[in-house]
Order: sequence, then C-alpha cells, then structure tokens
Amino acid sequence: MSEVSRRHFLQLGACVVGGACAADALPSLAHAAEGGDITTLRTTLPYPRVKLASIGQLTVGREQLTTYPDQASPVVLAKLGRPAINGVGPDRDIVAFSRRCSHMGGTLSFRPDTATFHCPLHYAFFDAQKGGLLVIGQATDNLPQLELEVDAAGDIFAVGIRGLLYGRQTNVLA
Amino acid sequence: MSSIYHGEDRIPVPPADAERFTTVCSYCIVGCGYKVYKWPLGKEGGPLPHQNALRADYRTQQPEQAGTWISPAMHSVVTERNGRRFNIVVLPDKDCVVNKGNHSIRGGTHGDVLYAPDRPTADRLTHPLLYRGHSRLPTTWDEAIELGARVIKATLDRSGPDAVAMKCFDHGGGGGGFENNWAVGSFFFTGIGTKMASIHNRPAYNSEVFASGDAGIAPLPSAYLDAELADTIVLIGANSHETQSIYFLEHMLPNLGGGTLALKQQLLPGEPHARGKMIIVDPRRTSTVAVAEAHAGKDNVLHLQINNGTDIALLNALSRLIHEQGWHDQDFISRRTNNFSVFQQANLAQSLDEAVRLTGISKVRMMQAAEWIAKPKTSAARRRTLFLYEKGLIWGLKNYENVAAVNDLALLTGSLGKPGTGCGRLGGHQEGYSRPPYPGQRPPINVDEVAVKGGASKVFWVAGCNPVGGTLNAQAFRASLAQRTALVNQALDATSSGTLDDKVAAVMSALDKGGLFLIVQDIYPTETAQYAHLVLPAAQWGEMNLTSINGERRLRLYQKFMDAPGIAEPDWKIMARMAQRLESAYRAEGKAEMAARFSGFTWTSDEDVFRAAAAGVKGAQEDYGDTTYAMLKALGTNGVQTPVQEIQNGMPVGTTRLYMDEKRFTFIPSAWPGFPSQIQALMNDSRYPFWVNNGRANHGWQTLYDDARKPYVMGRAPFPHVEIHPQDARSLEIANGDLIELFNPYGSVSAMAVVTDSNAPGHVFMLFEHPKGWLNSLTTDYVDPTTTIPYYKGTKAGIRKIGPMPGLNEDLTFVPTHQA
Repeated sequence: MSEVSRRHFLQLGACVVGGACAADALPSLAHAAEGGDITTLRTTLPYPRVKLASIGQLTVGREQLTTYPDQASPVVLAKLGRPAINGVGPDRDIVAFSRRCSHMGGTLSFRPDTATFHCPLHYAFFDAQKGGLLVIGQATDNLPQLELEVDAAGDIFAVGIRGLLYGRQTNVLA
Repeated sequence: MSSIYHGEDRIPVPPADAERFTTVCSYCIVGCGYKVYKWPLGKEGGPLPHQNALRADYRTQQPEQAGTWISPAMHSVVTERNGRRFNIVVLPDKDCVVNKGNHSIRGGTHGDVLYAPDRPTADRLTHPLLYRGHSRLPTTWDEAIELGARVIKATLDRSGPDAVAMKCFDHGGGGGGFENNWAVGSFFFTGIGTKMASIHNRPAYNSEVFASGDAGIAPLPSAYLDAELADTIVLIGANSHETQSIYFLEHMLPNLGGGTLALKQQLLPGEPHARGKMIIVDPRRTSTVAVAEAHAGKDNVLHLQINNGTDIALLNALSRLIHEQGWHDQDFISRRTNNFSVFQQANLAQSLDEAVRLTGISKVRMMQAAEWIAKPKTSAARRRTLFLYEKGLIWGLKNYENVAAVNDLALLTGSLGKPGTGCGRLGGHQEGYSRPPYPGQRPPINVDEVAVKGGASKVFWVAGCNPVGGTLNAQAFRASLAQRTALVNQALDATSSGTLDDKVAAVMSALDKGGLFLIVQDIYPTETAQYAHLVLPAAQWGEMNLTSINGERRLRLYQKFMDAPGIAEPDWKIMARMAQRLESAYRAEGKAEMAARFSGFTWTSDEDVFRAAAAGVKGAQEDYGDTTYAMLKALGTNGVQTPVQEIQNGMPVGTTRLYMDEKRFTFIPSAWPGFPSQIQALMNDSRYPFWVNNGRANHGWQTLYDDARKPYVMGRAPFPHVEIHPQDARSLEIANGDLIELFNPYGSVSAMAVVTDSNAPGHVFMLFEHPKGWLNSLTTDYVDPTTTIPYYKGTKAGIRKIGPMPGLNEDLTFVPTHQA
C-alpha cells in the first residue's frame, strides 16, 4: 500500500488527468493542504499511551472492543487480514477506530467480509482498510482512527487519534 | 497513511455571547434548518454549560444524536471586509421539523465552503474581471458595468431583444431565492424582453413539469408528513438516500420501519394501518434500495429495475392493471377529474406484453406494484399512496409524457388532496421562483441550438450555472462557445488605444462577424468563465438575506451572517446596477419607452426585492402574500408552508398540503412514444454497446461547484466514477480504479471505473457532473419537442480502458454502496 500524503494526492488531483479541466478553473486544494501539515498526527492534546492488546491475541476478522483515550470512548481493534492504511504489525493489517459514527454518534458494528463499520442510525458505513474513509452516508469526516505503535514485545499501544471523536469538543476531555 | 480526512482533534465551541443566526442549507430541496454561531477569533466558549452558546457540558461525552456536536467541517474562520476575523459554526438545528438535528454530508460541510482567504475557497471571485489581452484581469464595478451596458445597449438597438441570450439560475437556496430570481427576471423579461432565455440546467425557458401544470397539479403538492402517513411510497427515477437524504432518513424510513404507526392511528383513525411499503423505479440498484430493504425488510420494498427510458410503458401498464382489477378510485375520477376517456384510449391501451418487453419487468412484479399502489385496504378504505418522482423521470425519454403518465396514475387512484397521498417532484435544488412572465411561447426556443450554436444571439449572459459541462451535447456547445468567443478576444486583442469606446467598437465588429460576447456571473471562476469577456462576482448564501421554499413549500429566511468576499455583490444588486445604467443611457437619448423598461430597479435592501417579488408568485404554490422578513425571522427554521392564506395576528397562516378542497384535475393522454431517431441510431450501431445512465452521488452537490473546494469530497472522488457490471468489466479487462474512456459520435469523456453489479450487464451509470469529466459530452442533441427538455438520462457509448492510475486510487474505497 503506497502511502500517498494528502498534500501529494490533492496536487495530483488538481489537474493531471481530464481534458475538460481548465487549469485556472480549479481551486487550489494543494494550497489548503500546505497550510497545515496533516500527513502525521500533530496535536497539543495530552493523549495517554495505552496498551490495547498483544499481536498474538488477535485473529483475522475478530474485533476486539476496548476504550481509548478514556472509558467513555469505545473503540474497536481489528486484524483485517489485508494491508490497511495506517495498519501496524508484520502484515500492516492491524487497525483501530472509534466505535461512534462520525455522523451522529451511533454505535458501529464491524463486518469482517468487507472490512467495514456500519451505523444502525442512518446506514453510514466506513472502510477500515482505507483509514476509516466514509463509503457512503452522511458523516462529514472519516471514522476517527487510532494512532498505533507496536513495541519489540509485540504489544500494541494507542498513542493518539486522527480526527475528532463524535460528541466531543476535544478528544482528550478536560 | 490515509490521505483523506480533516485532521482536527479539537474544535472551538461558541461562547455564550456568540452572535446567532438562523438559516437553511444552501443545497438540496429538503432544506434542513441550521443555526449559525459567529464570534471573534481569539475567543472561545468554555466546557461548562453556562460558558458556551449550546449550553452543553463538554467535560463529558455527548450522547448520540445530541445536536451539540460540532464536526470540523461545520467550523471555519472567516475574514470580513474590515479585516476582522471570526469563527463561524453552521450547526444542524434540532428544533427544525424538517431535519430534527440531522444533516447530510452536503449540508454538514458548510464550514468548508465559507469564503476564507487561507482555505480552498480562496479562489472565490472577489472583483469583476475583464478580458484584457490574454486573460481576465480585475477591474472596477464602474468599468465592468459600463462596458457591459454599452455592448448590451448597442446589441439591443441594432439587433433587437433576441440578440441578448441568457442562461441563469432559477432556484432557491444558495445564491438563488425569490430576491435574486425576481431581479434576473425583471432585467431580462421586462427590460431586455428576450425570448432567448434558458434555465441553468437546460437549453430553454421551460417548466420541467409542463404536463403537471396542464393537469392542474402544482409540482410540490404534499408535505413531508405525508411520507410518514402513506401506505405506499412510490419513488420514480429518484435516489433519495443520496439526493434528498434527510427527507428519506427522517420522514420516509421511519414509516417503512413502523415508527410512525402511532401517528397514523392518531391522525387517520378508523382504517387499518401497517408499516409503509416502498416501490422504487430505477434502472440501477441504488443505495436507496439497499437502505430501504435494510430498514423495512425485503418484503416491504419492491425495486422495479426498469430499462432506460421506458417509464411511460411501465406507468401505463400499472394504470391498466389497476383499472382491470377495478382498484381505481371511481368517485375521485367522477368528482375531481376531466378527460378520463382520452386517458382510457391512450394510456390504458398499453399492451402488457409490450410493456414487459420494453421495461424488462415481469408481469408478476407489475401486478405486485399495482396491488401496493391501489388494492383497497378494506371495502371502505383505499390505500394512501404517495408518488414522488425526480430527474430519472423528468430527464427521461420524453419529458411531457413521462410526467403526464405518473400524474395520470395518481388521478386514477385518487392520490391527491388526502393525508398520506400526493403526486409531485422530490426536487433537486430548492425553489424560489418569482419572475415577470417569459415573453416566449410553448414549446420554448432551444437557446443552445438557436442562440449559441445557431448564432441568433450576440450577447450571452450566464449566471449561476456552468453549461460547458452541464448542458446536453456539451462537447458541441463548448466548440461553438470557444469559436464564437474567440472572435471577440481577437478583436479586443487588436485594439491598442485602451479607451472603452475602442473596446466597445471592437466587440461590436466582432459580433457582426459571428462573435459572441460572454458575461459570466458567478461565485467561482467556473469552466464557463474561462470563455468569458466579463466576469461578475456574486455573493453567495450567508452573504445576503434570502428566502426560498423547500420540497414541502416551507418558506424561510436565510439570514446574512458574513460579508461577501472582496467587492462581490448579491445577484439582484448586479442586475439592478446594469438596469440603472441602461435606463440612464436611454433617458440621455430621450428614449423614454426603453428607459421605462429598465426603471424600477430602485430597491435598497434584500427585503425590498422580496416584497417586490411577491407579485410574481400570486396564486402559485409559492404565494407568500404579505409575509415580511420580520415574520420569517420570528418563525426561524420552521418558517411557514406556502401558499400563505392570510396574515393573522401579525403572522402568516400557511398550507400543509394542497388540494384538500374540491379542485378538479385533468388527465393528459400519454401513450408510449418509442425512441427518438438520435437514440435509435446509437442503438443500431455496434460500436456503442453500452446504455449510459447517470445521476448524482451522495457526497456531491450539482456541478460540485462548492465540493471542488471541500478537500474531503474531492479527496474521496478525484474523478467522476462509472459503475460497470463485473461481466462487462471482465470482457474489457477493467478493474476498480482504472481510468476508462466513454465515447460516441457526440463526444468523449474519461472517468474512473467502479466494478459493481448495481446495473444490469450492458448498462453503466456515470456521475452526472464533475470538473474532471462531464457526462454530457456524451448526451445527444435530442430534446422532447413538446417541452424542449433533454433526455439527459439516456445515451449509448463505447468504452475503452485507458489504464490504472497508481498514486490516485489506492486511498479510495471501492466497497459497493448498493448493499447496506
């Protein structure tokens, strides 16, 4: 899986292909992305470093439910069995996400066959393999994804969150 | 690393003393209510309830659907004209009966599209632009109006009103509204008097539902409440989950899930009630079908997967089956309709075998649909059926008969003027139409063909639309626009003195030689503006006060909450300015009659125009009578449903549902007409084996004019997509994410392949409008001769694989959307 940064992506997207596109007709999305580097998580929030599981405890397609960064924030850890954006572990397929829908906070369920998270409220669903990208639905951002680290012993730690958790003004509560 | 997301993990909340405004979504017909909070940069509300404007306790997790969560896409920092910077939050309104705090991905991203010089909206048009030498450069309003007025006046004087053509918005919501529409109409119809007028998404000045008007049925007769009360909802050519999302999620789905049973029993006692059923007529298995099935169970949803263009045969077959079973509403037909015998001869003569062959839908499924529509619940209780149609029908094979056939079916079954029934459009954009009458006749002139390609007009004013991609047969349209506007460019390039007199003389000589002077009025530098000589910057939603109605005729005030960028002005002010310049020019020449045509543009406020526009809606479904801004401000996001019947105790009294009286309607004969010659030719040519259907997608609005500035939207959809069946993909060796080319004699376009069995083999679906690929390069030049409405939804093409797009498609998702 190539790791295309958003900045690179949007510059490419701006006018590489498509005869109908007049260069000066297009907005400068690349410019926007340059404003703040969002290719890696940057935050001033005091995220805790929390052990979620060990690599050996995970089986493909079986989700593991826990919380992060506090007890009021349900998250799900899963080994997808296929490489994923931001995936960790030897197969780059271990990912973790908030279980609250980034539309209106419904509790999501995981479907291993498509590696998607589904909301029962308004049928939004998200692609776990693609950084929690909205497949379809009314959410205005990805499903917040946990930033994971694996240490030499194979323990998986959550160290941060990309994207604002539903129902919060700040991911780490005051 | 995911490339596509907002990235914030913290958001400022409005302080308790933040300024508050109410507004309505700038996008689709549903018109969800929003609250706007505005407060100075550098300040923010605290986490305790008394420290923030939402009175929420942000020290704790908010529960689901709380209505107090601000997503990053709902927030922005804007810069006003005096340089002061403000936070703005546009939050769905929990107290609005339309959305109850819910929002679509489109409405939920308004923060992203507010003008901000350090965000992707930085390319908003801030100043008038004038073609000088090689490109369009900023100029003053005085110079822009002076040049425009002189060219228009000279053209009008030499060649008459039809030498000035226009293609303008006519909608409600963002940028439109009663105010701007009235000014545009007053300028072109009262002032210029041109017949060469066309509406933003079509080549002529027409209603999309002439047949409905002829039947006596207004386009939006029902209320959203009716979708909660109906026994059966019939969606025809509409993918409501993606295009009227909140109407579908908040009003239709609850009925399908049984959530409105108590309401039905309360409001409609004395008859049996069950959860609602849904029939969906669409050539594609859409996400609407999938979500309806997931929510209601497959037994309560009937998807009629119709062959492209064959709606009339299906609707008439349903009418015939219902009539044969004796399920029609004889009492309603006798009391409230005319022309039944003509309908009988035309529509009920539809052969069932022919309908099965044309539509691809079995007789058994047709019979099931007929039962769900019309088989009485008891001997005393008819089914309550709500017919809702949109572009799949309106832009189908033959606009007039398509719309007539569904209205006829509704009249046959008595489905008007009763709770839980209706027959109307779902709608695309909101409505805010009020104009003096169009001076032309029916069928209206095809402006693309006659004025632009045919050369009958010399000045073309395009406002709030992007026809180089959005009009039918767009490749030919672009070719003509490029050729004719270039003649003016060359003439301007050859002038050297720099005086306005010389420029006007150069333009006029080019117009004599077949040139076209193009004025584009918009909020962004659209693709059409790339051909323009004069570009006029307009204000958008939130930058002026405006009023519009939604799909249940709900009229509200959309408050101004920020400045327009640079020196951009509301459309009504631009039209007024041009009119006043023409008036003074004619007065100076002593031409009092011409001067009078351009007089009356003396409004000084948005509300002045709103009040003037009341004259243009008298007696229509939009009639708002003596309603004022103050009344609407007091009514907030719930507003009042037009027509307004009277003002009582200082407040307007509205109308929930039309036709609760004894109004009579007319059956319009609409027999299956067959395919037009342009389509026949493609059908008979083996080089173009694929039927190309098209439509919108959930994440984008219209031409994507705003979405192109939303990184999250463009990131996930960098190209238009084409859904292609796995069988066809295999034979062409096409995989998900491949770039492919679609082509036919009318043009070609590239797009990104999505392999899915949502369509039948041999049928593909492409996104209608996207700046990286305009589907309309493939549509034919055919229009319904009765209405001059194109058959946008159907063309045929060949498909060629170009190749994979590494670096572009790895981060996109290809999980099918027709399963929920």
